[in-house]
Amino acid sequence: MSINKDTIVAIFLLLFCGIMINSSFDIEDPGYQGMKASFWPTIVLCLLSVMSLVMLIKSMVSSTENNLNFENTNSQNIFLKFKNASICFLMFILFLVFLDYLGMLIGGVLFVFGLLTLLGGFEIKKIINHSIISITTIGIMWSIFTFGLKVILPEGEILRIW
Amino acid sequence: MIDVILQAFASIVLDPVTLGLMFVGTLAGILAGAIPGFTIAMGVILTLPFTFGMTAVQGLATMLGVFVGGFSGGLMSCMLTGIPGTPSSVATTFDGFPLVRSGRPGLALGLGLWSSFFGGMISAVILVALAPQLAFLGLEFGPWDYFSLIIFALTITVSLSGGNITKGLIAGLLGLFAATVGEDEINGVARFTFGFDDFKQGFAFLPVLIGLFAFSQLLTDVEDDKRAKSPLMSQSGTVVKVEHRQAILIILKRWLNLFRSSFIGIFTGILPAAGGSISNILAYDQAKKASPNRSNFGKGEYDGVIAPEAANNATAGGALIMMMALGIPGDIVTAVMLGALMIHNIIPGPTFIQDEPLLAYGVFIAFFVAHFFMVGLQAFSLRIFLLVTKIPMYVLASVILAYCAIGVFALHNIVFDIWVMFFFGVIGYFMKKLGFPLAPMILGVVLGKLAELNLARATGISDDMLLFISRPWSLFFLLMAIISVIFPFYQEAKKETLFAKLYVPISMIVLSLPLFLMGSPVRMIVAAILVLTGAYFLYKRTSSLKTT
Repeated sequence: MSINKDTIVAIFLLLFCGIMINSSFDIEDPGYQGMKASFWPTIVLCLLSVMSLVMLIKSMVSSTENNLNFENTNSQNIFLKFKNASICFLMFILFLVFLDYLGMLIGGVLFVFGLLTLLGGFEIKKIINHSIISITTIGIMWSIFTFGLKVILPEGEILRIW
Repeated sequence: MIDVILQAFASIVLDPVTLGLMFVGTLAGILAGAIPGFTIAMGVILTLPFTFGMTAVQGLATMLGVFVGGFSGGLMSCMLTGIPGTPSSVATTFDGFPLVRSGRPGLALGLGLWSSFFGGMISAVILVALAPQLAFLGLEFGPWDYFSLIIFALTITVSLSGGNITKGLIAGLLGLFAATVGEDEINGVARFTFGFDDFKQGFAFLPVLIGLFAFSQLLTDVEDDKRAKSPLMSQSGTVVKVEHRQAILIILKRWLNLFRSSFIGIFTGILPAAGGSISNILAYDQAKKASPNRSNFGKGEYDGVIAPEAANNATAGGALIMMMALGIPGDIVTAVMLGALMIHNIIPGPTFIQDEPLLAYGVFIAFFVAHFFMVGLQAFSLRIFLLVTKIPMYVLASVILAYCAIGVFALHNIVFDIWVMFFFGVIGYFMKKLGFPLAPMILGVVLGKLAELNLARATGISDDMLLFISRPWSLFFLLMAIISVIFPFYQEAKKETLFAKLYVPISMIVLSLPLFLMGSPVRMIVAAILVLTGAYFLYKRTSSLKTT
């Protein structure tokens, strides 16, 4: 018997199913005839639980191929592997959190510039390129959606006050 | 009927706006297909936000342009650089690249281009002929049959998406669960909202799709620091003059290969989840087996270019047949098109062609027209392609991530949708890392509400759950679902095992049962053929077991 990535995922999925099945009991029954609102999600969650259990068992009896080796896990390697993805996550969260304040135009330009610079590098030439790219691309996209497709994109408090 | 076709024709060909949109769409598709790391599905998904402000015909025509253009874009990069732009052009590389290296790049591109064109045309004819007939068949379906069809679509997606079947089923079920969040459509009751008002509207299908597919793909593309910073292609091709006339003559001389490959493509497209990535390799394999010049394959054989290119474009027509006739998406691209139709309050299903003939025939005509654009734009797009390949991936990814946010916001004008896209983007990224296929999850999200609605209708009409197995069509689809779940085990099983020998004949015999129950003479004949063929295989294989 061994513990690997799949074991952890399967346990997580089982916990998720448990929480969701529990919350399915809170789904209101308006008393109408026909299928209850909780019926279909319960079926799906039960099947998901069964499949997660199958995955758990399979992962525990499987070979040691995906085994977690805590002693040899190099935290620096893991960080490097997910560095760029983490930067994208972080920048996107910042973009969303400040969207109401900065708006889509300023927020978008800052997001693209920040992401380009963090992923591409901080050399002066690159920074100039990144600022040109971010201003032109977001400017074009913003114009297409605002004027061409008549979508009212978030203006942001800065532009609203200004 | 003729007046509807003429009106549909006018709405596409005589409308300069629609033609302009198709022009841009096809060009964008060719580029999306040509750039490694981008896929046709991603091109179509990213086009979607632009179509919100268009009419349904214009939106679908634009997306069809991207779809058709994408297939031919793939051949451009694989021939000029040896790197397939999309999975659907992998087999084209086997003979396309050697043909280019032997000093015939113009002919190689011409063969690929015109094979794609002819393959697409053949599938367009089949689409026009078959979709309305299949839709008539779909009119026989009750909610029980429809529910079982959705289950079959999900299971076959799981079995064909490769990898671990348990993980595939989990992904599909997670998709079905995601579709249950929010107010249910039947009773209007809130589910799994945890007190958040934003959750009441549920997760809109498009932010989920863009998150799962495009967002997660972009994160994967920039994962490797070195690759993200270098230009998209290290080997850049050069502009070549396409040898159109000679290519057409060579293809027409090999008409049998063209037709065989096109039909392989159409059939693969009709199967849910089996797209161009499978059809091009299948067609290449068949062309090689049937060719008298088998030894030339891999060295620049013309048939080796014609087969995969005809097949992958024909797949598009096949996938459209399922969507137009039954409202079941054949792949991610048609799932997106289904979503685009839903935005315009049109629900595709068996009555779609009857209820919306103008739109349905508009799709048929747009599919034809897109192929002409594809041929016309190839030389022009080749130049743009060579420019685009100099851009590093991190630049494209950063800009497209921002575009995703703007596009998703445009759907309902709410920021919550961008959060949904981000959330599913993160989930998609980690699911890919952990070996879960994303296609079943996407199909689960798309078909989840439809499955629940049909289950509610079925149970509302009758409490008798046995109707799911006593109605012939429902039984047929459930049996197909079981067979498709077992299929990966059959693929893995060794040929000499009892299970591998019995899988196909027993499947044939089992599937004949619902066909017999249907009662119509044609279906009974098909059932009889299935039983006889199955029995013959069973006899042959069991007797070979006895002798060994």
